[in-house]
Amino acid sequence: MNNEAAYWIALAHLPRWGYLKINNLIIKFYHENKLTPEDFFQLSESEWSNQYGLGYKEIEDLKIAKSELANNAFLAESLFNEGYELIPITSPEYSKTLKNNLKTAHTPALLYMKGNKQIMTEKSIAIVGSRSASDLSLGFTDNIAKLASKEYKVVVSGFAKGVDKRALDSAIKYKGQSIIVLPQGIMTFGSGYKTYYKQIVDGDVLVLSVFFPKAPWKAELAMARNPIIYGLASEIYVAESSDKGGTWSGVTDGLRKNRLIYVRNPEPNENNANLLLIQKGAVAVDFNGMPIKELVPDEKQMIISLVQEPEINYEYNIIELLKTGEYGVKDILRKIQMNWTEEQLRDFLRTHKEVKSINKKPLRFTIKNLVSKQKSLFD
Amino acid sequence: MTRQEAEAILQKIFKLTRFYDEQWTTIEKILKGERVLLIEKTGFGKSLCFQFPAVIHNGITVIFSPLIALMRDQVKKLNSLDISAKCVNSEQTQEENTQIITDAKAGKIKILYIAPERQENSEWIEATRYMNLSMVVVDEAHCISVWGHDFRPAFKRIINLVNLLPKGLPVLATTATATKKVEADIAKQMGGNLTVIRGNLMRDNFKLFVIKVSAEDEKMIWLGKNLDKLPGSGVLYTGTRVNTEIYSKWFEQLKIPSVGYNAGLDTESRIAIENGLMNNQWKCVISTNALGMGIDKPDIRFIIHTQIPQSPIHYYQEIGRAGRDGQPSYIILFYNPEDRKLPEAFIEGGRPAITKYEKVINAIKNEMLGERDLMRRTNLKQTQIRVIKADLIEQKIIREVTIGKSRKFEYITHAPQLTTRTFEELRAAKTDDLESMIGYIETTHSRMNYLCNYLGDQVYGSNNNCDNTGLKKIKVIVTPEWTQKLQDFRDEYFPELEVETIGTNLVNGVAASFYGFSNVGAALHRSKYENGGDFPDFLLKLILKAYRNKFGQEKFDLILYVPPTKSGDLVRNFAVKVSQVLKFPISHNLSKHRITSEQKVFENAYLKADNVRDAFIYKIPAEIQGKSILLIDDIFDSSATIKEIGKYLTNLGALKIAPLVIAKTVGGDLA
Repeated sequence: MNNEAAYWIALAHLPRWGYLKINNLIIKFYHENKLTPEDFFQLSESEWSNQYGLGYKEIEDLKIAKSELANNAFLAESLFNEGYELIPITSPEYSKTLKNNLKTAHTPALLYMKGNKQIMTEKSIAIVGSRSASDLSLGFTDNIAKLASKEYKVVVSGFAKGVDKRALDSAIKYKGQSIIVLPQGIMTFGSGYKTYYKQIVDGDVLVLSVFFPKAPWKAELAMARNPIIYGLASEIYVAESSDKGGTWSGVTDGLRKNRLIYVRNPEPNENNANLLLIQKGAVAVDFNGMPIKELVPDEKQMIISLVQEPEINYEYNIIELLKTGEYGVKDILRKIQMNWTEEQLRDFLRTHKEVKSINKKPLRFTIKNLVSKQKSLFD
Repeated sequence: MTRQEAEAILQKIFKLTRFYDEQWTTIEKILKGERVLLIEKTGFGKSLCFQFPAVIHNGITVIFSPLIALMRDQVKKLNSLDISAKCVNSEQTQEENTQIITDAKAGKIKILYIAPERQENSEWIEATRYMNLSMVVVDEAHCISVWGHDFRPAFKRIINLVNLLPKGLPVLATTATATKKVEADIAKQMGGNLTVIRGNLMRDNFKLFVIKVSAEDEKMIWLGKNLDKLPGSGVLYTGTRVNTEIYSKWFEQLKIPSVGYNAGLDTESRIAIENGLMNNQWKCVISTNALGMGIDKPDIRFIIHTQIPQSPIHYYQEIGRAGRDGQPSYIILFYNPEDRKLPEAFIEGGRPAITKYEKVINAIKNEMLGERDLMRRTNLKQTQIRVIKADLIEQKIIREVTIGKSRKFEYITHAPQLTTRTFEELRAAKTDDLESMIGYIETTHSRMNYLCNYLGDQVYGSNNNCDNTGLKKIKVIVTPEWTQKLQDFRDEYFPELEVETIGTNLVNGVAASFYGFSNVGAALHRSKYENGGDFPDFLLKLILKAYRNKFGQEKFDLILYVPPTKSGDLVRNFAVKVSQVLKFPISHNLSKHRITSEQKVFENAYLKADNVRDAFIYKIPAEIQGKSILLIDDIFDSSATIKEIGKYLTNLGALKIAPLVIAKTVGGDLA
């Protein structure tokens, strides 16, 4: 793959394409047509158009990407020289957990990393929660990280303040292994590599990013990095969540998509939304992460959830579509071939917290605020 | 583009009428976006093979070249043809380099020369994101190969880059010196799809001579007698820095205009010397192998070696710059059987002991370290650290990374064990190369053919351009007159101590001798370490002579001496004697207020400087105010002690501090 790095960088960062479109293209040229990225970029514009059904705008994007390949080569050289690795989605080394959890629609085409990449193949947990978590929550985090480390499970951390940071520090304290999922480009972690030098050298820490290598920290990137944390983990523990913000939207979204999520059972007087999450279907756990019996969702519930899955895909498609502009219900039904009635869709859109309606005739819908929007986490 | 069309452009832009066939073959491939390795002798016109396509292409052509002097020359030439060319290098200010990089980003530059080391610079890497790159050129491509004569680790990165470049982006690698083995290595490293174009390397305008001698004196005498008789100007290669100094003093005495050149000189001096050479200001430039590869002077009329190079390929490279204009040029090699000891020592000592590698690995395993920290942690010389570093990077045990603005070494997760196999292979190869070099001296056939054969060149016909094939052999005739001249020179020659630094009132001083010369080192060693009593009087006589030679009748207000670490009163007693003869008052008030270690324990300048930092104190500071001071010591090595005292005395108000020592060591690290 190393020699193809320039091509992968080009593909992974096609502007405003989104993971789904990029992955669909990769599936087509790589898996169906058995072309390497190099071969694909050598194709003519008419081949791009005829064989891949790409439109004018996409072809323009690809032409620009192609013209930047040499520039990417310089970047890739400096990445490799500094010891970063690039793992494309087609590589056998790419995290299977991530692919299974995020599917085509949400899996990044390229992972940038430094450290022991073997860690990606181990069983893993994420401990998530608020940046300003209580001591109780931090204690829980520490304990779960300890238990995970004992069982050789990798702790996935988003490297944010509060629960994230504690999860990481505890995993290190208990000689466990961790993945740091950066809310920034892999090359901008600077002193972090110095701080975790010993752990990286000993093979206990893997630093991972999905963003352009030089991208500095940004709120949007922190939000966009959350799905990767959830995706890399086989189990998710919530130490503390308020009723809004990254943890809340991540967990509720996960629950809608049937991921098993463990939430610390709160004490009666705690001021947080843990209980609310448990009521919405998360599994209450005690200080040791053990499920508290009566709150475990029963099998019947699970089956119902599975049946609902197709709707969830529609939701994603709808939201993705709305990101690109304002649409009426008819438009949406036409563009996304779905079997809902107009009535059903209108109700869905009116109640969806990310969607706002625009009072025009006919009634139109679009996305509320792109920046603060939490990406859909699960398929 | 047809050749005819190309040649019309060539005429218009480069004012040349036609391409050589091999030039056109190369250019045609480049224009098609192919990759080429071009091996052609100096003077063939390799640069046109990338300059021409660079002008045709839309974007920028980046040329990685290790030779700053050559970059400068080519940029000048291209600019005179109205082609926008620039170079980025360490000799320019940061502002200049930044401006050039900005212009390159903006598409204002067609041809950009850049040193491979620049690949480590984040400003440059950042800029490469925005350049419209048309072609990459790797000049002096033999530097890629450890089997070549000038392997440079920075080229590794260039190769990695080349392998990442997209298909269709032309890449040209050029060299004037590559054996078949090096050629194969370069081709392999550059990946597939590479065409090798190899021209013939024969230089028939060379007149090759080997002068066998049995003593250093014979070399000096022959050169003293004959240098002026050689046509034009040229280069004398001496093997060591000390010898560049000795030869330049020798010629100075004989009133032959010459100048010494080595890698330790600052940029300004180097440029001045290179310019002087271009303008025939000197009969000869005396150099270690630091000079020459990059000098684009067409009429270098002679190249003389007083020391055999390590291999025929080194030799071919070093003589390669002579006679680019095709006119006859004299290529002379002196050989004293003793001479092979230097390259042998170089081969044997080329790599530090394995324990030192382990020391470095362990230090880096524990901590992310920069070079300076690493020198402090391991007490290894900078030169050794650099060799070890390059080997460990090559073996993928460590890597060099950028943290913020500084470079650090880090250990690679799951790194392999250190292996010495490649070291042994390389050493065996180098030993073979040295034997081949001796073979050049001993051969009774055409010397040019010998070199060409070695380089893997096709040799056609016979060459009658050496002292085995038609030219008269040179013999050294030593006359009593010249023996005396040389003796007089030796008696009057004292090594300079270069200690002048900004911010102190230190001036350059003088040593009575080099440590290893004649019996000086041995005498010092007896007194210091074998209970041999005070330094013998011949050293006193010698140092007084050195003093008069350097300072004439100048008077100093005060004599001080460097307080000892171990060897008792030797230096004190010696300084007292000097003071009695010169009749300058002596003071015993300079002392150490903390215990230091012997400087020789420390292998590198950082630790030496740390060892003596703020270690000295003068009892009655007022005595120093406004004084000129002669500072005496026995051995001058890294200059750290002298500089520390000089700084201290300057702060106390000394007007001038001049060091006077018995012996100067050779090869002080970072001195």
